[in-house]
Amino acid sequence: MSKAIITVATAAAAVLVPFYLEAFWLMAGIFAMSAAVGAIGINLLTGATGQLSMGHGFFLAVGAYGYVYLSSDSAGHLGGLGLPTPLAAVLAIGLAGVAGGLFSPIAGRLKGAYLGIATLALIFLGQHVLFNAEPVTGGYNGRPVPPLEIFGFTFADSPELMVLGVPFGGAEKLWFLAVALLLAAAWFARGVLHGRPGRAMNTIRDHETAAGVMGVPVARYRAGVFVLSSMYGGLAGVMVALAFQQTVPEYFGMLLSLDYLAMIVIGGLGSVGGAVAGAAFVSLLPQLLTRYSDALPLIAAPGAGGYSPAEASRMLYGIAVVTVVLFLPGGLLGLVSRARQALAGKVPHPSNPRSAR
Amino acid sequence: MNRFRVRAGTAGLVLLALAATSCGSGKATGGSAQTGSDGVKQGPGVTDDTISVGMISDLTGPYAPLGKSITQGSQLYFEQVNAAGGICGRKVEPLVRDMGYDVQKSVTAYTELAPKSAAFAHFIGSVTVGAVRQRLDTDGPLTLALAWAPSLLGSKSIQMTGTTYAIDVINGVDYLAKEKGLKSGDKIGHVYVEGDYGIDSLAGSKYAAEKLGFQVVEQKVKATDADMSGQVAVMKDAGVKAVVLSISPKQTASMVGVAVSKGLNVPFLGSNSSFAPQLLATPAAPALLKGFHVMQSASPLNSDLPAMKKLVADYRAKYPKDTLDNGVMAGYTTAAITGDALKKACANKDLTRQGIISAHRSTSAWDGGFGTTMDFTKIDEPPTRTTHILQPDKTAVGGLKIVREATASDLANGYKIALH
Repeated sequence: MSKAIITVATAAAAVLVPFYLEAFWLMAGIFAMSAAVGAIGINLLTGATGQLSMGHGFFLAVGAYGYVYLSSDSAGHLGGLGLPTPLAAVLAIGLAGVAGGLFSPIAGRLKGAYLGIATLALIFLGQHVLFNAEPVTGGYNGRPVPPLEIFGFTFADSPELMVLGVPFGGAEKLWFLAVALLLAAAWFARGVLHGRPGRAMNTIRDHETAAGVMGVPVARYRAGVFVLSSMYGGLAGVMVALAFQQTVPEYFGMLLSLDYLAMIVIGGLGSVGGAVAGAAFVSLLPQLLTRYSDALPLIAAPGAGGYSPAEASRMLYGIAVVTVVLFLPGGLLGLVSRARQALAGKVPHPSNPRSAR
Repeated sequence: MNRFRVRAGTAGLVLLALAATSCGSGKATGGSAQTGSDGVKQGPGVTDDTISVGMISDLTGPYAPLGKSITQGSQLYFEQVNAAGGICGRKVEPLVRDMGYDVQKSVTAYTELAPKSAAFAHFIGSVTVGAVRQRLDTDGPLTLALAWAPSLLGSKSIQMTGTTYAIDVINGVDYLAKEKGLKSGDKIGHVYVEGDYGIDSLAGSKYAAEKLGFQVVEQKVKATDADMSGQVAVMKDAGVKAVVLSISPKQTASMVGVAVSKGLNVPFLGSNSSFAPQLLATPAAPALLKGFHVMQSASPLNSDLPAMKKLVADYRAKYPKDTLDNGVMAGYTTAAITGDALKKACANKDLTRQGIISAHRSTSAWDGGFGTTMDFTKIDEPPTRTTHILQPDKTAVGGLKIVREATASDLANGYKIALH
């Protein structure tokens, strides 16, 4: 019953938010939802299958730049195919899958830290290509992103749209798109995790040999999960590109991949909810802190000397991350289930039998 | 359970109805221009008693020291303006956001500030401004960009100050030919960092070299490279007669210092971002004082202009502990240009975004007392094509003194800027 209440409340919030909050919050929300889609992808790979990937940012880049290249008309020194934007978006996700597939001979054979190091190479390769393949990527300055257009409905500030007296710009429209995409991505990943493939993936993570003995084709599963997680990365890349309206190579660097790892560790490994919680935490907290830290003590206005809000927010963010890692072994999601147990006070947790008292 | 579903359904409907009526939503007012009590049309960021001006700065990233000076320079200007009664009878309220030279953070900062700012007094970096270029083009406020890449030209709302990297270098190479006796057939070296800054600078040296019959020996470095001995060796082997540097201050110190020890005694010419006064406290100082020059469009802090002397004195009084560098001047002038655009727009009774941009774009000769006359009327052109040649000097304020006053060479005037 409580679950239904939460569902209704979340759905209502998702619908109401664009009517009340300003563009800053919508943008933050869109970024968080794109991050959530990407984090679900890497959680399938790292959390559920135990394959470490440091190259998630690369697949975001493939998705983002793939969309831009496929949907832009070629102009001047910049090439493009000028495809309809929804088709370009789908193909871009496919392209990210193909990129993952090309890497899968490696992804199928390597595991753990070794795969981590191999995927690290993707980041450097990606950065080099993004900066130098100018006709496709636009080089250092990147390229403008054509807005998505589905059946004549454009996800951009113009043409102006009024919904019930509220002006709907690009941010408001993209918000609903992001909600829909996140729901679809989460639903699909849940299906994978709760079905046969999910159990096979978890077995590979927990005991590779046992999985093999039970008839799970380990290498094929590893390669397959890698492709699936790259496609999630590609979708996140398309969403980020639509939100930015301009792709820039700098964004898709090392730090982005590390952020994704941080998201799933903080949120909780191996589940969809964990990925979403972690993505929200990692992408919203710094912005919340930057925006409101002037209300905290000892903080000076930006540029006025003393601790600036930006510095303070970084410290608080660091403290929050350390706290989660130290005290919440199951991540934010683990905290929720523990709290639920404490409230119910009945169900004993295997690791903590005293709670049954 | 059934009863619950009904209840949940009702709750959902009520919420939807709430959404439908947009009860109490501040967004429902619509952002169209209103007219103030004094008959001035007001756009975003302007009320009857305040004008909000945004600043998007780098206070925690790689350009943090410069970003701090820039922001403090701008704040100093607006404090003085407010002390003198404000603009248009309104107080100017600066809104500062830090983006740490991060693209996502600058998009977020822009998204937050744009709806409540009348103009951006500064926005640092070409990639960061480039990331919101489309939004600026459609309905953005007047934005003073602090970066000198040609990719920032061609938009009515984006204003660069000074001139592009390429034109600085062309003027610098022209100086080498005229004052340092380089002749046709000589080789010049160019060490540049990858990215906008390096690429455009290189375009400048190649253009000038072709016109003057020089040969360019190129060396590309990464922003993270620290040791320049390899580049010095290449330049020495090639027998260059001078070296242009479009790199970071730290790299300049390495380059010039190593060159002296390896016996590469040729003139060095640095782009405006290749020098910082802090370098004069490093072991590279003697080498820098001897053979190094800086190409810079803006007047140095050390110049004799009364406006500059006043700025230096005021800044010292307000921030006694902070270093005076080019950022102070850059931040103060961009704020002054913004302030003057607002004053002009006020005189036209139109403080909407369009009104402010039109007022700014109608200014054909602005110098604010700082010695460089800028023309803001052409959106495809930098406001000036003049460059100072400066030399490091320990006793000078800001560490630089003038060797050659601002000049636009014939070469620079004939250079066609390729727009993106």
